[in-house]
Amino acid sequence: MLDEGQYPHFDHLIDLTKGAINRKIFSDPETYQWELKNIFAKCWLFLGHESMLPKKNDFFTAYMGEDPVIVTRTGDGDIHAFLNMCRHRGNRVCRGDRGNARQFTCPFHGWSFRNDGSLTSVPGYKEVYLEKLDLEANGLVKVAKLATYKGLIWATFDQNAPPLDEYLGDMAWYLDMAVDRLEGGIEFLPGQHKWQVKCNWKLPVDNFIGDSYHGPVSHGSAWQSGFEGQPLRLAGYGREGFQVNPGQGHGFGARWAESYDDVVKMALPEFRDYETARAPKTHERLGDLRGLHLSPMHASIFPNVSMLWQSGSFRVWHPRGPLLTEAWSWCFVDKTADEDHRREVRLHELQRHGTTGTWEQDDVDNWVQTTAASKGYAGRAFMQNLSMGVDDENENPQEIHPEFRGRVGRFQSEINQRDFYREWAKRMNDHSLPNIAGADAN
Amino acid sequence: MLDMSIKTDIETWFSVSQFYALEAHLFDDWKFRDWIDLLDEEVFYWMPMISNRIGREVGKEVGSIDHLSHYEEDKTSLSNRVKRLETGMAWAETPPGRTRHMVSNIVVEPGEEADTVNAKSAFLVWRSHLEVDQEMFAGKRLDVLRPCDVTGWKIKRREIIVDHATLTQKSMGIFF
Repeated sequence: MLDEGQYPHFDHLIDLTKGAINRKIFSDPETYQWELKNIFAKCWLFLGHESMLPKKNDFFTAYMGEDPVIVTRTGDGDIHAFLNMCRHRGNRVCRGDRGNARQFTCPFHGWSFRNDGSLTSVPGYKEVYLEKLDLEANGLVKVAKLATYKGLIWATFDQNAPPLDEYLGDMAWYLDMAVDRLEGGIEFLPGQHKWQVKCNWKLPVDNFIGDSYHGPVSHGSAWQSGFEGQPLRLAGYGREGFQVNPGQGHGFGARWAESYDDVVKMALPEFRDYETARAPKTHERLGDLRGLHLSPMHASIFPNVSMLWQSGSFRVWHPRGPLLTEAWSWCFVDKTADEDHRREVRLHELQRHGTTGTWEQDDVDNWVQTTAASKGYAGRAFMQNLSMGVDDENENPQEIHPEFRGRVGRFQSEINQRDFYREWAKRMNDHSLPNIAGADAN
Repeated sequence: MLDMSIKTDIETWFSVSQFYALEAHLFDDWKFRDWIDLLDEEVFYWMPMISNRIGREVGKEVGSIDHLSHYEEDKTSLSNRVKRLETGMAWAETPPGRTRHMVSNIVVEPGEEADTVNAKSAFLVWRSHLEVDQEMFAGKRLDVLRPCDVTGWKIKRREIIVDHATLTQKSMGIFF
């Protein structure tokens, strides 16, 4: 599938000085195959939250790129992740989305695996394999590394990957504004939206990492009809915030608040009582910049995680070929939130985002048609324009506030998208093989 | 013992059946304002999500009320969704999609409250959008209806169970 002797280069497709991106990368099948290797087999990928495994022997299934995985909590409380692939013929050993099970039995020939991945029984082990099958070597394939960041579970197939903290870099510090803003952190509510969109996986990531610009037009209908809270909370193309770029392809956009009063005013009206009580606690916990001034709206974490702060949306964009993406979206709440607030967050999330979301729906066709634009020969000859704020990337935001890390752009700036594609090109040009333990072939 | 006895009279069944046919035409003719009038002021409109379950958990596929759902609505939020479609900027439906709601297998039983009925129905909804997007939704509806002098019935509660886990439809901006 990939010719390891013919390494393509991707640098020329991205011109960061102009913010110009070659549209080929949104539909080219060969580029996609290199993405599966150079990005999805080597990056840290998001699997879920610890609250999805509350009990011993709980499990859920997920994807890492196109690879299906099972995530389990064993009897000793440890979390594991394996390829959901029988070592015999590659059949999926678990066909459930979530549940509680000590073992998984392959529906093809009946090989059974314990939820720590070990192969425990093979029908006909004596009679047909004459005891010559190496049971120990044929357990489910474990991910190379698994780690959690404040409840968020991540894994990578590459043993050479840096530790998770290093991979997330300063984004982890900013991520605390969601996952560590109150004592106890967050949890994911049960249930996840899953749907497929005929678009390239990078376009929604690009949208969430820094496109504050599309709101008034793409989401004009939701703003006008009561889905931006009542009364209308935001309007226009204001500059009263920043796109924050901690680097490594991660980024987020945030409004700027000077006081608790500002924080509360920027919150959805239904959340204002909650925010009034929360704001001073988070300020004390996270300090001035993260605890008071920055009111984050949207974010992406390289390569394929996105978030929305207020309604508690946390999602993964699973690649399904160059022209198809599967969205998995959860809703998170502060662990200490009471039932009323949980209900409000849940309603806001599902009425705005996800399958029936009044905001979400209107994004979808934009991504579909942007992908389609990259298929025609003539259209592909013109570059995607991500030039907004290209001459105004602030490398020293400490001048604005001493606690800033990374770089910032104006609230309306494509600085984060440019950094996402910079990271993409850097990783796509790194043709070193992922170190998948025990792999027979690359 | 399996109870297959008929729990309603033909007049009630015919009335509910005609109500559903007229409702389906309202959906398909984009008369969403009129559809809102079919809803009780206290309507609860809920479409839970469906997951694949194995082993002892087979039978627990339908999400609970405190889970994230596809739809969890009251009359205000449904009216706002309709208002959104009327803005001319609801791009997922601008230009409008084409739907055809087919409602069948209608079973009517007396409800728990006086005058109400419980009505179960199956649906297939065809939707086409823009040039070649074509989608099918299948599922069942479990309704609680109360009589109304003006519209025949009002929907007090609608639970919609869809026969889809991961949706292959690009979004779900339509009603069922």
